[in-house]
Amino acid sequence: MKIYFESLAMHLKGELEYRVNFILSFLSQILVFFTYYFIILALFTKFDHIKGFTLYEVLLCFSIIQFGFSFNEVFARGIDHFDNLIIRGEFDRLLLRPRNIILQVLCSDSDFVKSSRLIQAIIVLIIALCHLSIEWSLLRVLTLLLMLVSSCAIFFGIFLAAAAYCFFTVQGLEVRNVFTDGGKHMAQYPIGIFKKGFVWFFIFVIPYAFVNYYPLLYFIGKKETIYYAFSPLLVGLFLIPCILLFYWGMKRYTSVGS
Amino acid sequence: MSFIEVKQISKTFRVAKKKSGLKESIKSFFKREMIEVKAVEDISFSIEKGEIVGYIGPNGAGKSTTIKILSGILLPDSGECKVDSMTPRKNRVKYVKKIGVVFGQRSQLWWDIPAEDTFDLLKDMYEIPEEEYIATKKDLIEKLNLQDIINIPVRQLSLGQRMRCEIAASLLHNPELLFLDEPTIGLDAVSKQVVRDFIKKLNKEKKTTVILTSHDMADITSLAKRVILIGKGHVLYDGSLKKLQNQYETEKYVSIKTNDKLDIRKKGIKQKTKTKEGYDFIIDSKEISISELLNIISKKIKIDDIEIDHEDIDSIIVKLYEDYKI
Repeated sequence: MKIYFESLAMHLKGELEYRVNFILSFLSQILVFFTYYFIILALFTKFDHIKGFTLYEVLLCFSIIQFGFSFNEVFARGIDHFDNLIIRGEFDRLLLRPRNIILQVLCSDSDFVKSSRLIQAIIVLIIALCHLSIEWSLLRVLTLLLMLVSSCAIFFGIFLAAAAYCFFTVQGLEVRNVFTDGGKHMAQYPIGIFKKGFVWFFIFVIPYAFVNYYPLLYFIGKKETIYYAFSPLLVGLFLIPCILLFYWGMKRYTSVGS
Repeated sequence: MSFIEVKQISKTFRVAKKKSGLKESIKSFFKREMIEVKAVEDISFSIEKGEIVGYIGPNGAGKSTTIKILSGILLPDSGECKVDSMTPRKNRVKYVKKIGVVFGQRSQLWWDIPAEDTFDLLKDMYEIPEEEYIATKKDLIEKLNLQDIINIPVRQLSLGQRMRCEIAASLLHNPELLFLDEPTIGLDAVSKQVVRDFIKKLNKEKKTTVILTSHDMADITSLAKRVILIGKGHVLYDGSLKKLQNQYETEKYVSIKTNDKLDIRKKGIKQKTKTKEGYDFIIDSKEISISELLNIISKKIKIDDIEIDHEDIDSIIVKLYEDYKI
């Protein structure tokens, strides 16, 4: 773990070398994020609620998904941009180092510019929490934490599965954006508002439902079922095939010419 | 058993066949014709500890593929390779601690930060004990003359400076086996010499086994006693460099300084040209030896000075490639 933090520090050092670029990118990311936020606000000037969910409940849902996504963009950039490692032949180098490969991929890149999104996700989360009247209890705090962690985990899994695909095609694929960006945009809203087919997809294929729907129902007091509070743990099961897929792909790795 | 044992390894890549033009690109987008390219086929050799071996061959012969298999980056399709009784990819974590790899065309240093920071990170990657790390680093800095460049962001270094840092980075963990894949590519004469001298010293002092590929034959001649020639994926020659040179080095150049006029006709003299100061000969040493030639000439005229030159190694290699049709 020490190496991971050291490489993070090195990436930060590298990024700060280009000061103007860093500041401008940071600001532009704030704007991009704000448009997402703005769309939801605009929606709620027309409607009071979507299928029983109020503005701040939706914002809570939104911020949790954004948190997980941005977290991976900042801290797991290497997996997000894994195709770069393969195309530039840098993956060879990782195989020559005596450390776990996934850890090394994590170390290979990070993007601190995206931390502006992460900060904003946290701000929106706090705003939403302030406006919701939640009966706080220890279990609810735990639920919230589990939601945040599972949100990070689910995107980690998706990124990893997409990375595994690079072993076969060399190039990254746009299809994966259906699952990351597309999925992210849908999962920003409580999944219960969608049609049955989507809900099934988000339960059994990519389990977004356990990140911010079932636990959300418990958290805001719509359901008192205790299982719902712990449902984010199921995301752990989703990670297993993703990791296996990655290692399986690694066996098929065929480098690039030099 | 030898330090490195390579037994009949083969590796085939499947490559999409591409034709030029947009139309063909679109066609291949939907239906791809795959062709199999045999990168290496049935390669075997063994290398003892402490040897420096030059691994030569034209572009695309399979040099890098072999190095990648030996270093554990690629898995061979068939055959096996063992280094110090370990199979590279199987015992990956344990194995890579014993090897160092320098790819001349790829950098392992972080572009935007000084090399020393990369070294520090490598120290933790390889879990090098503090004392050993400090000693090795100091030694490398001294021998590769890195004092002044180690604290400058790598992107600002010249190619020669960067290569010296690359080599240092690959040796921080004191590997027993060092792979150098074109370590002098694009370097100027002085930097090349620094790199060569360093490798020689390393091999002598630490008994590091070195496998070296290069297109610069001067690298090979100054470092390796033994060469392995590979072409189209097969081993074509494995033996001493000297023998190879003798076998191919049949043309010799002799120039003589004299004021006298010389008339000579003999089998083996391929060319005779009159120069300002005397005569130049190109002879075939299989037909006539230099001493024979000089003997004949000295009987006829007074020789003021002689100069003997032989074919440089590059033209030998060209001949060799032609002979083996690679």
